[in-house]
Amino acid sequence: MSLRIGHRRIGFGRPKPTHSRNRTSTSRQARADASAPSSSCLPTSGITSASMESSPSSSSLSQPHPTPPPTSSGPPRPTITQLEQFNVEAKVFEIYRMLHGADPSTRSVMLEIWRDKHIEFLTRGLEQLGPSFLVLDANRPWICYWIIHSISLLGDSLDSELEDRVVEFLSRCQDQNGGYSGGPGQMPHLATTYAAVNTLITLGSEMALSSIHRENLVKFLHRMKDSSGAFRMHDGGEIDVRACYTAISVASVLNILDDELIKGLGNYILSCQTYEGGISGEPGSEAHGGYTFCGLAAMILINEAGRLDLPRLIDWVALRQGVECGFQGRVNKLVDGCYSFWQGGSLALAQRLFPILQSQSESSLAGGVQASADCTCDFTTVEAGLDENLCTVGTSHCESAKGVEGELSDLGFSFIKRHSECGPLFHSIALQQYILLCSQVLEGGFKDKPGKQRDFYHSCYCLSGLSVSQYSWSGDADVPPLPRAVLGPYTNLLERIHPLYNVSLDKYYKAHEFFFNI
Amino acid sequence: MHGRPRKDPRPKDAAVAAAKAANLRDLQVQLLHNHQNRIYTKEALAACSKLLEINPEVYTAWNYRKLALQHNLDGVTDPDAVKSAVNDELRIVEIALRTNPKSYGAWYHRKWVLSRQLLPAEFEREFRLLDLLLKADTRNFHGWNYRRFVANLKSVTEEEELKYTKKMIDINFSNYSAWHNRSALLSHVLEKDQRFEFKKSTLTEEYGLVHDALFTDQSDQSGWFYYLWLLDQTVCVNDPKLISSWPAHGSNLILSTSNKINDCQLFSSSKPSSFTLLQAKTFPIILYFNKAVKNVNSSTVVVSSMFVSNEDLTWRPLSIENSEKACCWVTFLKVPDEKCSGSSSYPIEVSLGRCKDTISSNGSYCKYPSEFTFTVTLKDHNSEQDIVESAEENVVWNYADACNRKENLYPLLFDQLSITEDHVAEDLNWNLQTLSNEIELFREFNDEDSKFVKLTLARLLVFNDIMMLNGTHSQLGIHSEEVLTLYDDLMKLDPSHKGFYEDERSVVLMDQLTSDKDSLIKRCWYFDKPTSSNFHHQSCLRLSNLSLTRIGSVKNLLWVQLLDLSHNKLRSVAGLEALQLIVCLNLSHNQIGSFTALESLKVLSSLRVLDVSFNKISACAIDTRRYLCSSPLSHTVDGKQIIEEYEKENTMVQDHWEVIMFLRALHLTQLDIKGNAALHMNFRGLAIELLPTLKWLDGERIR
Repeated sequence: MSLRIGHRRIGFGRPKPTHSRNRTSTSRQARADASAPSSSCLPTSGITSASMESSPSSSSLSQPHPTPPPTSSGPPRPTITQLEQFNVEAKVFEIYRMLHGADPSTRSVMLEIWRDKHIEFLTRGLEQLGPSFLVLDANRPWICYWIIHSISLLGDSLDSELEDRVVEFLSRCQDQNGGYSGGPGQMPHLATTYAAVNTLITLGSEMALSSIHRENLVKFLHRMKDSSGAFRMHDGGEIDVRACYTAISVASVLNILDDELIKGLGNYILSCQTYEGGISGEPGSEAHGGYTFCGLAAMILINEAGRLDLPRLIDWVALRQGVECGFQGRVNKLVDGCYSFWQGGSLALAQRLFPILQSQSESSLAGGVQASADCTCDFTTVEAGLDENLCTVGTSHCESAKGVEGELSDLGFSFIKRHSECGPLFHSIALQQYILLCSQVLEGGFKDKPGKQRDFYHSCYCLSGLSVSQYSWSGDADVPPLPRAVLGPYTNLLERIHPLYNVSLDKYYKAHEFFFNI
Repeated sequence: MHGRPRKDPRPKDAAVAAAKAANLRDLQVQLLHNHQNRIYTKEALAACSKLLEINPEVYTAWNYRKLALQHNLDGVTDPDAVKSAVNDELRIVEIALRTNPKSYGAWYHRKWVLSRQLLPAEFEREFRLLDLLLKADTRNFHGWNYRRFVANLKSVTEEEELKYTKKMIDINFSNYSAWHNRSALLSHVLEKDQRFEFKKSTLTEEYGLVHDALFTDQSDQSGWFYYLWLLDQTVCVNDPKLISSWPAHGSNLILSTSNKINDCQLFSSSKPSSFTLLQAKTFPIILYFNKAVKNVNSSTVVVSSMFVSNEDLTWRPLSIENSEKACCWVTFLKVPDEKCSGSSSYPIEVSLGRCKDTISSNGSYCKYPSEFTFTVTLKDHNSEQDIVESAEENVVWNYADACNRKENLYPLLFDQLSITEDHVAEDLNWNLQTLSNEIELFREFNDEDSKFVKLTLARLLVFNDIMMLNGTHSQLGIHSEEVLTLYDDLMKLDPSHKGFYEDERSVVLMDQLTSDKDSLIKRCWYFDKPTSSNFHHQSCLRLSNLSLTRIGSVKNLLWVQLLDLSHNKLRSVAGLEALQLIVCLNLSHNQIGSFTALESLKVLSSLRVLDVSFNKISACAIDTRRYLCSSPLSHTVDGKQIIEEYEKENTMVQDHWEVIMFLRALHLTQLDIKGNAALHMNFRGLAIELLPTLKWLDGERIR
C-alpha cells in the first residue's frame, strides 16, 4: 500500500455541490459511480436530464453552508475568510433560489445570454478607446483582445472600418526589433505580444495576419529567453510561468517554434508544480489557477505535458470548483468568474491529453520516435515473449522535443483535431450556471462575482469559460454539442475556442492555414 | 492577464476622466521622449514618477528608471548621492504599490534595485513594507514571493521566517498562504537538520498548532491542507526498503526443464514450499520496495548464482507510468542449457547493499542492506505429471470441485523478508505514539458526523497499521474493520465522493484479506480432482464479489499464478503489472471502461488466459482515470512500425489504435471478451490477427 498521502485525493477541499434530494436514487447512483476515483472528486460523466433540471446548487438551499460549524466545541468562530465566503455563498444561493422557484419559462429567460447587450457593451468599449487609439496605458493590446475575442465568441465581428483601425493600431505597437508593446513607443512585452497576436488572429483578415512580422518576432522571443530555460516578460523584466506561456503560445500559433525556445523550459515549469498539484508563478510560491493553465498549456505545446504530475494537477484544479458552482483561483479563496477559463480551461486541456499523445504517433513518423530510440535503455529482451514496453519506461521527453520544427508547431493543430470521448473533468453545467446567473450583467458584460463591477477582462474569461463548458461534452471539434450540454436555451451556444491559445477555433484554423502554408 | 488593472468601465465623471486621461497622455509622451533620447534629469525622473504613481503598469517607465539609475550613478562614489538615488527608487515602488499592490513591474523593480546592492539594504524597511501589504491582503502572492526574496537576500534563518508565518496564522488561521509558506519552510528545515530528535520536537509542535486551527473551526480548509502535509511528514518513510520479493526467502523453486518453450505451463503446487516454473529455462526475480526507487541495476543488486554472472542481469522497473522509478523491479534469469540435464539444486543469493544510488523520489537511498536466498532445483518435466498445456482446453472458471485446504497454501508467503528492525525502532515508536494520539483525538470528535474527521481518522488508522506492519509483523491490520466501517459511513454521508471512498475501501479490504494467513486460506481454492477442470492440482486466489474498485496489496500477491477478480467493480487494474507470474486472470463482470485501463497487463509476459467479458470496454476509448498511457509518443513502441505494419492491411490504425497497442503486447492463448458494450465491428478479426497464439476466443476454438 502506498504511503503517499496525496492532498489530491482528499475529500476535504471544497465540498462538491450536493445534488437535490428529490432525485431518484438511480440517477444519484449513476452520478456517484461516474465520479473518477483517482482523479477528480467531481463527476466526470453522466449528465442526465435530472441533473439538468435540478442543477447542483439547488439542494444547497436546504443547507446554507456545506458544513455547519461545530456545536460542541464552544460557539462557532468563523474566520474572516469564512465570513467572506459565507457572504458570497449567501448571495449566490439567493440567486439560485430564485432560479429554483421560478416557472420554466422564467427560468429559461433567466439563463439566457444577453447577446445584444454584451455586444453593445463591448463594441462601445472598443470605440471609447478613442478615434486614434491614443496611448493611455500599457495594456492596450490586452483591451483589444479581451473585447474582440469576446465579440467573436458571441458570433459577431467588427465592422471593417473599426477592424482596420485596430490592425493599424497594433502595427504601431509592433516594435521594429520584434514583439508588440503595450502602446506605440513602449518596449515590446511578451504578454502584450500574446494579446496582439491573438487579436490579429481573431480579426483574421489577410491584412491582419500579414501584419505580424514573424522573423522579427522570433528574434524577440529568443531575446526574452533566459538561461534558466524560462522567459522574461520584457528586457530587464520578471521571469515567470506567464511569460513562458505567452512566448510559447505565440511561437506555436505562428509556426515559429524552435528547439532553442523550448530548451530547458520544461524543467522550469516542472519546478513550479507544487506539492498541492497546481502550478505556481515562480518556484516556491503556492499553486495558482492562472499559472496552472499557463504551465499546462505551455507543456502541451512543447510536448512535455507527460512530465507533470497530471493526476495531481487535475485533482487540484477539479477541487477548486465549489458549492458556488464557479471556480476559485487558489485554495481557500473566493470564487471568481475569470477562473471559469483558467481552471475550466486547464481541465479542458487535460481532457484531451490522451489525444495529443496519440496524435504524436503520426507526427513522430517523420523522426520523433527515431530520436527516442537512442535513449531507450540497453535492455535486450530475454525471450521473445517479453514485451518491449518494459525496457523504455520513460526516459526522454526532452529528447522527443527535438523533432522537426514544423511538427512542434503543429502540436496545437493535432491537439484539437483529435477525437476525445472523455467527458468533462468538472461539473460543466454548474459552471455555466455560475457564469450565466452570477457573473452575467444584464446591461452587458460579465463580472467576478455578485457585488462586483463588470469589466472587459472578466467578460473575456467568463465567455471563454462558458464556451469551454458548453463544448466539454463534444469529443469532435466539428460536432456541435447536444442541447443538454448547454445550459439555458440552445441559442446560448457560443463559438468554440481552441483551448491552448484561447482564440475561437474557426479563426485558429484560418490562421493555421495562413501561417503553415507560407 | 489576471491581476492587471482594468480600465474603470464607468468613469463617474466624464470631465474628470478626460482631464485625467489628458494628464496621463502628457506624462506618457514625456516618458517616451525622455526614454528615446536618454534624458535622465531630475525633472525627467519626476515626470516618470508621476506617471507610475497613476499607472504602475507602464513597464517601459520601470525600465527607463533602471537605465537612469545606472546612468546617474555611473562613477558616483559619494555615498549620500547613491543613498538618495536608491531611496528615490524604493519610494516610487512604494507609491506604485499603493495604487496597485499586484503590479508585477513595481515588485520586480524593487527586487532589481535591492539586488544591485548599491548600499546596505535597510531590511527593517523591507519588512515593514511587507507587514503593511500582507496585512492589507494576506493572500497577495507577490508579497509572499517578495518576502522569500528579501529573507534570502538578508540570509534570514528559516526559524525567523517560521515565526512570521506563525504570527500571520495567529492573526487569521485561514490564511492559506501563511500555512503554505510554513510547510515550504519546514520542509527545508527538516532537510537541513536530519536529526530525529529535531524532527520529533518540530512536528509535535506543529500538531499542536494545527489542532488549534482545526478544532476552532472544522470547516475552514486551510488547516486541513496543512494537517495533511504534516501527516505526510510523520508517516513518510524516508528510506526505501525492500519489503517483498519473489522467490521468497528460503523457498525452493522447482524448475521444469521441458523443451516445450512456447507452451505456457501451469505449475503444480502439490509440494509445500516449492514452486514449479512456468516458462521453461527462464524465471523472474521480483523485488518490491515500499516506495518507488530508481537505479536498481547489477551494481546495486547482486545476484549470486551458478547460472549467469551478475553483470549480465538487467533490472527493469515495472511501472505503467512513464517513469524510471517503480516500486517493483524485475530481472529474468536464464538457465543455461548445459545445466538443464539431470536434477540438481542451485542456491541463489540476492543482496542489496547499502546503496546511495538506489534512491527514491525524495532523494533518500537504501540505507539498510538486505538479502535473501532461495534454491532452484532443476527437474525433468516428464516426472511432473501435473503440468497442463492450457491451450488445449478452454479454461472455465468453475469452483464446483475445488476446496480450500490449509496444507496447500504456500507456507512462505507471509515472511517475505526477514528484515531486522532494530534500526527503525526509535523512529517508529515516536511515529506510532503520534499516530495513536491523533487517533484518540479524532475518535473523540467522531460523533459529529463530520466527513473531515471521519476521513482523517480512517487515514490515521490505515497509516498506523502500515507502521505497525513495518515494525513488528505481529499486529496485522488491527484496525481494518474500523476503517471499513468509516468508509461505509462516508459513502452514505458524502455520496458525491463515493468513487473515492470505494477506492480507499478496496485497498484496505484487499490488505485485510491478503496479509493475514487465515483469511488468505479462505480465498485460495485448490482443485484436487483430476476430472474437475483445467486447473487440476492448481491453487487459485479468488477475490471475487468484494466490490473492489481498484487493486491494492500487490506486495502480498507476487506469487499468484491464477487470479480471479471477477464480479467486482474494478475500473482500473493498475498494480497488476507487478504480478509477473500470472498465467490465468479473470476480470469478468467488472467496470473496466477501456483498453487503456488494462495497460498493466501488457507487461505480464506469462499471461495466457484472460477473461475480460462483461465489462464496459470501448464504451469510452480513453481511461479517464489515467492520463499517461503508453503510446507511440511515450516511446515505448515504435509507432512507425505499427502503422506501416497495419496500414497496408487496410486496418484503420487510427480508429483501433488502443486495441492494436494492447493486443499486440499480449501472448494469449485464450481471450474472453464478450459482453462489452461497444466493441468494434471487426474486433474479432483484429484479435485473431494480432494474437497469433490465440486458440480460444469467447469459448470458441479458432485455431
